[in-house]
Amino acid sequence: MRERAVVAVDDLQKVYANGVEALAGITFHVEPGEVFGLLGPNGAGKSTTIGVLTTTVTPTAGSARVCGHDVADDPIGVRRSIGVTFQQSVLDQDFSGFENLRLHARLWRMPPAEASARIAYLLDRMGLAARANDGVRTYSGGMRRRLEIARALLAAPQVLFLDEPTLGLDPAVRRELWSLIASLRREEGVTTLLTTHYLEEAEGVCDRVAVIHEGRIAAIGPPGVLIEELGGVTIEVRAIRDAGPAADALRDLGIASRPPLVAGETVALPMGESPPDLARMLADLQADGLGVAATTVRATTLSDVYLHLTAATGAHA
Amino acid sequence: MTALALNGFGPLYARRLAIAVRTASGMIGQITTPILWVLVVAPALNTALGNFRPDVDYFTYVAVAQVAFLLPFTAMFAGLQVILDANMGILPELLAAPIRRATIPIANAFAVLTVGLAQVALLLGLAAIRGAHFHTSVAGALWFIAGASLLLLTVYGVAEILTVVVRPELYGPLIPAIGVTPWFLSGSLFPLTVLPAGIEQLGLLLPWTHALALMRYGLMHGSPSGLHDLWHLGSPELMAVLSLLVLVGFAVASLGLATRVFNRTTTL
Repeated sequence: MRERAVVAVDDLQKVYANGVEALAGITFHVEPGEVFGLLGPNGAGKSTTIGVLTTTVTPTAGSARVCGHDVADDPIGVRRSIGVTFQQSVLDQDFSGFENLRLHARLWRMPPAEASARIAYLLDRMGLAARANDGVRTYSGGMRRRLEIARALLAAPQVLFLDEPTLGLDPAVRRELWSLIASLRREEGVTTLLTTHYLEEAEGVCDRVAVIHEGRIAAIGPPGVLIEELGGVTIEVRAIRDAGPAADALRDLGIASRPPLVAGETVALPMGESPPDLARMLADLQADGLGVAATTVRATTLSDVYLHLTAATGAHA
Repeated sequence: MTALALNGFGPLYARRLAIAVRTASGMIGQITTPILWVLVVAPALNTALGNFRPDVDYFTYVAVAQVAFLLPFTAMFAGLQVILDANMGILPELLAAPIRRATIPIANAFAVLTVGLAQVALLLGLAAIRGAHFHTSVAGALWFIAGASLLLLTVYGVAEILTVVVRPELYGPLIPAIGVTPWFLSGSLFPLTVLPAGIEQLGLLLPWTHALALMRYGLMHGSPSGLHDLWHLGSPELMAVLSLLVLVGFAVASLGLATRVFNRTTTL
């Protein structure tokens, strides 16, 4: 995989001037055409990783290459190969959607005819053609995001970085955007590296994810594999008051693949598979006077994986 | 400059210029006071106070001074757009572009220079209509443009640095403090030699003083230019060259430091 990697990160470390260690040596490689997700709590190092790969953060040690260009030695080569959308809206407020795209085309030195055709295509593809000449101040949050994705794709980058692409958007717009990203991936074949806090959404779109925790990669792999490794089934018990006795009782059942995770009054216990007498076991729990309000058996999700991997500090998004 | 170093200059320059045009109300606001000076205050001063030297056309003297008032003000105001770009605007996108990052503040500086020179042309045109007497030549015009341009670029460099080193909410109060205060100490309304000792020496160190001397040298046919107060030499041409070199030094140092600060603060 290392030889084919479009993004190659090896033992990457970053200590900021104020002494904060954001990355403590992370390694991962992204293959051509892959959609790769970086997940983790706030402050885990996701944005620092994106910053290094887009050349706004200088690594302290280790190496990072994008499309064969080293981020430290050839930052302009890296930037020529990539498209980026940022966590916050980054648009020229005084300009129209079309003008924002045209500026990007000029900065990326696209031939004018090619730029015009590509801008027209992407505006149409993003459903913005009718509003292309309106000032972006008048755009909704979803329209701005679509425009930013269009801009990132304009120069046909080899790698697309999407830093929290659906942050702050309502569920309907988020769903629409993920669908758009998935279809663009099919159409453009662009390698995509994204960060998100919406784990179920990442599960649907990412080929592989890396969970970063305290500057280190806690797990990496396809979402389905990570879920299976944790246990494909999760028992969730909601206690009436104190979840501690229920957690102890669940642990004592000896059916879990990992220790139970307690969050408030809820205990989540991942298992490899559901035991045949599970219903009776749960009924016994409730009957034993452990203050169990409800029990649920469900499929394990990427959120469960994330929560188990990052539970040490409780620093979740 | 190599072709690579110039990559991105054109679109960034055009963008900044377009913003200036779209926010023309700001430019009009900046130029209102200087226009009031050249149309009303300077003629009134000329009438009320008379000439401080027989060979001095005081109205024209003050009209040129207004150029040194206007340009630093324009440069400092342009810093507000830098703050907007950085905090609510497009700077991250520009930083992700395949261009040298130093191109960003340099292109901005030259766009602001274009705006400033357009304002100056308007101001001097109005002053001439009102009765100012500019005695110049091609060489004189070039001395004037050089003095004006280098002053603006110097102050714009300072503005770029301040947008990074001070909190955004503190930048506004610095606009008049830095954009205008030195103007009073630079021989703008009266010769440096009438200032108290110490203050006069301070005035000699300001780019405003050298810029005003050069601009008056260029537009007032060498008369009361202030160059002699600065250099005490016999050759006006030599004194003009010396002031030009001082201004070039200020501008290169200011813009050089600004691009260095920009590079360092935009790459963590």
